[in-house]
Amino acid sequence: MTTALNELRTDALREIGNIGLGGAVTALSDLTGVLFTLEAPQVMQMDTSTLPSLCCVSPESLVVGTVSRVNGEWPGEGAFLFPWQSACVLWQILVQMQPSGLEDLNELYQSVINEVSNIMLGNYLQAISQMTGFTLYMEPPAFAADMAIAVLSSILVEALYGQRELLAIETAFRTPEHEFRGYFLYLPETGNLEKLFDVLGI
Amino acid sequence: MAAVKLAGMGEMVWARGAGVLGCIGLGSCVGTLLFDPRTHTAALAHVMLPEAHDQDAFATPGKYATTAVPALLRLLDVPAALASRLKAILIGGGELFHNRSQALRIGERNVETLHKLLSELRIGVVFEHTRGSSGRSFEFVVATGQIRVRAVGATAVEQDLSAALGILRRAA
Repeated sequence: MTTALNELRTDALREIGNIGLGGAVTALSDLTGVLFTLEAPQVMQMDTSTLPSLCCVSPESLVVGTVSRVNGEWPGEGAFLFPWQSACVLWQILVQMQPSGLEDLNELYQSVINEVSNIMLGNYLQAISQMTGFTLYMEPPAFAADMAIAVLSSILVEALYGQRELLAIETAFRTPEHEFRGYFLYLPETGNLEKLFDVLGI
Repeated sequence: MAAVKLAGMGEMVWARGAGVLGCIGLGSCVGTLLFDPRTHTAALAHVMLPEAHDQDAFATPGKYATTAVPALLRLLDVPAALASRLKAILIGGGELFHNRSQALRIGERNVETLHKLLSELRIGVVFEHTRGSSGRSFEFVVATGQIRVRAVGATAVEQDLSAALGILRRAA
C-alpha cells in the first residue's frame, strides 16, 4: 500500500532533496574548507519491506551514521547513513586518516560522522519544514556503526509499530578528488507520506 | 555446508533432522530458536518487537515475541503443556545506537519479554548471545546442534550444543 509516487510527487521530494542538500553542502564546505558539489538527489524508496536492500552491497556490509527522533507536526525517525567506503572518504578528507575496521573506530572518527550526519539530517529536516510549514524538532542524534541490515532494521523497529512507508533520498557528493554517497531516511510515525503531500496540495 | 534457511525480519523457518537455520544482521531483533529433541526439529523466528500493536500479528506472527513463541510451538507441533521438553536459543537484542536520548530499549525489551514467555512455558534457554551494542548474524546446524555467531569487529563464537539440546550422537 505504497502512496503512488507520481511525477509531481517525485518532483516535490526531489525538491526537498535539493533544498536540504544545498544547505548541507554549503555547511559542509564551510566546515571543511573543501568545495563539495553534488549530483541531483535520487528519490529511492517508499516501502519499508525493501529498506534492508537500500544503501548496501550486501546486508552485512558496514554502514555508519546517526538517527534522531523528530517531534513536532510530522513526528518520526530521521537518519543519515553512509556506506563504510563513503565514510572512509569523509574521514580521509576531514582528518586525513581512516580506521582499518570497526574495532578501530575511536571517538574522533565517531564525532566526524556525527557532525556530518547531523548537518545533513538537520538540513533535510529544515527543507521539509520549509516546504510544508511543519514545525519539526530534532532530538540529539545517536550514532551507530554496524552491519547495514542490523542498523536499518533497528531504525525500522524504533520508528515502526505497523510502519509501512518512508522517504529515502540518495545523493552523491563530489570533491575534485573524491566521491561519496549518503542516504537520508525519514520514517514518519503516521506510517505514510500522505500528510506531506496533503499539505503540499498534490 | 548446506544452504542456510534464513529467517528475514518477522519471518519463521524450520527444519527437521538436517539443514541449517539462521538470521543475518540482527540489531535489536532477536533470533528465537526452539528445538524439540524428540523429533529433532528446530524452528526459528526473527522477532522484531516485544508485543503486537496491530492486526499485523495475524499475518506475521514471527514479528512479535508474544505471537512468535506460540507460533513456533505450532510449527513444531508441540502443545504448550508439553513445551518444557523444548530448548531455546536466543541471539540478538543489541542496542546499536549509542547515547540514544529517548531510550526505547527495544532490544532489551525483546530479550526480557522472550525470557518471560519461555520461562512461563518452562522452556530452558541453553544458549544466549544477546544485548550489548553490536549487530549479529548466526547459523545453527540442525543435525549436530552446532551454532556459530558472528558480530562485526569480534571473533566468531562457535559452540557445540548437542549435549545441551539432547541430540544423541549416532555411533560411528
